[in-house]
Amino acid sequence: MTAEAVVLLTSAAIFALGATGVLLRRNPVAVLMCVELMLNAANLLLVLGSHVQGNDAGQATALIVLVIAAAEAVVGLGLALVLFHHREPADIDEPRTVRG
Amino acid sequence: MSWVLAWACIFTLPGLFIGSLGWMKPGRFSVLGPAALLACSVAWLLGGRETLVIRLDGWLPFVADGSFELRVDALAVLMLGILGVVALCVYVYTLAYMADDTGIRRFYAFLDFFVAAMALLVTAGNLAVLLIGWTGVGMASYFLISFWRDREGTLYAGLQAIAANAVGDGALILAAVLLPAGCGNLTTLQSAACGSGVGGAALIGGLLVVAASAKSAQGPLYFWLPSAMAGPTPISALIHAATMVAAGVYLLVRVHLLLALTPLLLLAIAILGVATAIFGAVMSLLQSNLKKGLAYSTVSQLGYMFAAVGFSAPFAAFFHLGSQAFFKALLFLSAGVVIHAIGGSEELSSMGGLGRHLPFARWTFLIGSISLFGVPFTAGFFSKDAIVEASGGRLLGWALVATALLSGMYIGRLYFATFEGPRRSEDHLHEPREPRAMAWSLLPLAAGALLFGYTQWPEGGLAQTLRPVLGAVETQPLFTFQGGLAALLGLVGFVGAGLWSMRQAMPERAPGSGWVRWASDASLALAGGFASAQNGRLGRYAVITVLGFAAILFAGLRA
Repeated sequence: MTAEAVVLLTSAAIFALGATGVLLRRNPVAVLMCVELMLNAANLLLVLGSHVQGNDAGQATALIVLVIAAAEAVVGLGLALVLFHHREPADIDEPRTVRG
Repeated sequence: MSWVLAWACIFTLPGLFIGSLGWMKPGRFSVLGPAALLACSVAWLLGGRETLVIRLDGWLPFVADGSFELRVDALAVLMLGILGVVALCVYVYTLAYMADDTGIRRFYAFLDFFVAAMALLVTAGNLAVLLIGWTGVGMASYFLISFWRDREGTLYAGLQAIAANAVGDGALILAAVLLPAGCGNLTTLQSAACGSGVGGAALIGGLLVVAASAKSAQGPLYFWLPSAMAGPTPISALIHAATMVAAGVYLLVRVHLLLALTPLLLLAIAILGVATAIFGAVMSLLQSNLKKGLAYSTVSQLGYMFAAVGFSAPFAAFFHLGSQAFFKALLFLSAGVVIHAIGGSEELSSMGGLGRHLPFARWTFLIGSISLFGVPFTAGFFSKDAIVEASGGRLLGWALVATALLSGMYIGRLYFATFEGPRRSEDHLHEPREPRAMAWSLLPLAAGALLFGYTQWPEGGLAQTLRPVLGAVETQPLFTFQGGLAALLGLVGFVGAGLWSMRQAMPERAPGSGWVRWASDASLALAGGFASAQNGRLGRYAVITVLGFAAILFAGLRA
């Protein structure tokens, strides 16, 4: 197995792990973490592609994804924190009163 | 002056930012924005009247014509002028109307954004820029309709506006994408070459008509406009006169040559307009709420304008747009005086006999009413007559003449039920005076509702100014048989409905008979079916997303 194949399979495994978590977990923070996991799997793939193709566009995109993921984590975790302060939701579908 | 007007979309932004900082009394600085808009438009009309196009290339590379293009011509400037007058009156009026509201600063910020978006829409030179103004106007109306967030139903009403707008925005985006390269420009769009792309002129024109009818509340997309009454009254005046609903008609007037390439489409627009005019008038007769009655009246008047576009008379459509802006803003603002005075209620059952206490509101409402149903030599008389004249004696034109009877009836019912007859409620007047800022801002609108029609005749009048954009228009005679007949019918309806409604108790709710209830149940069930897909369960959304991706991947691997 080449090094590229190993990285590819790792990325796929991490993505599958994240996706499964999003689908199965109910805790908001766990769901958020799983989304981050999926994003990082995509990052890994971008860097791999950049390596294979020999240009830097993939790495640049990975950096952009990192920044966006950070921003998203700030908003998401902020919301989760406020919700926990308010009352502890065990289920991500529970807080419905905040809908317009 | 053209250079300044091209950037009309930023006139109200200083007011937005400085007003939000909270240095001055709310609204005092914002008033300068529409005043500047009005002053610059008048200066352009008095001055050189030069047409200007500003073009910055390569702005949105993914649409056919993605340059940032602004265009100042006679049509745009006249629309900006109307926007300036109505917005200025609404701004001054709001100073008094919302004086006790804690959210007044937020209100002015939204107003400034609204006017800025509309100005961008009006000065847009191509579809890409138009889309921004188009969506901005929709967003602003959502903010303003849902302004009183703690009142029941306002969020829902705002969401209805968003829903109708989404249909229109989608149609407009689709049109922008389907256009062949180099055709996004609003003037070259109308050439026959641009109609030869995918689907041809019929498809592009049809999409533009769908977009316009969502904004202007035509046909089945009317529903958001009556619900929009949940917002504060000054906003109703602005939405119904010069901003939101005017945008659809403005777009159709802009692209009338493209529409003219497909005669069948023109006929469809005319039928849509006439049907909506009749429907709106009948619905207005059934309302128990003063503002809702006026809202359906707007739906009906917009039907007249669509009919004019369908009769290939864009000038008549724009003319009626202008006079409607004056009399409808006037009607809404004087209705606002009434609502303010009786402490916020909008139900006709709590009004009646208010003319004695609110003489100013009564007379201005009466002026708006007579202009609406077209008493000879008022603005509404001339502009409606121009539309009927343009129909060329077709049955559709006579249907509009007959609708004048309904117009007179609904506005007569609203006027007499509010200002004349006995008082229906025992409550004392909340505030028996008419605040000065509110009274003064009604005067220019009243003058416009009476005199706007005369702007078509003098040297350099409306028709002549618009000739470079809309082509030559025959000057109208002062009085025509059809116009006189429509006025007579309107007057009969006005007096008849007035005498009837003064003696009648106002219903608490609109009546619903068997089949109406059946239709409403059926549509509710349908809506429930669609809504069950939007259940807010994150897990289910995620499963469907993953399944969708898997399907795409699978299809990709197979291919």
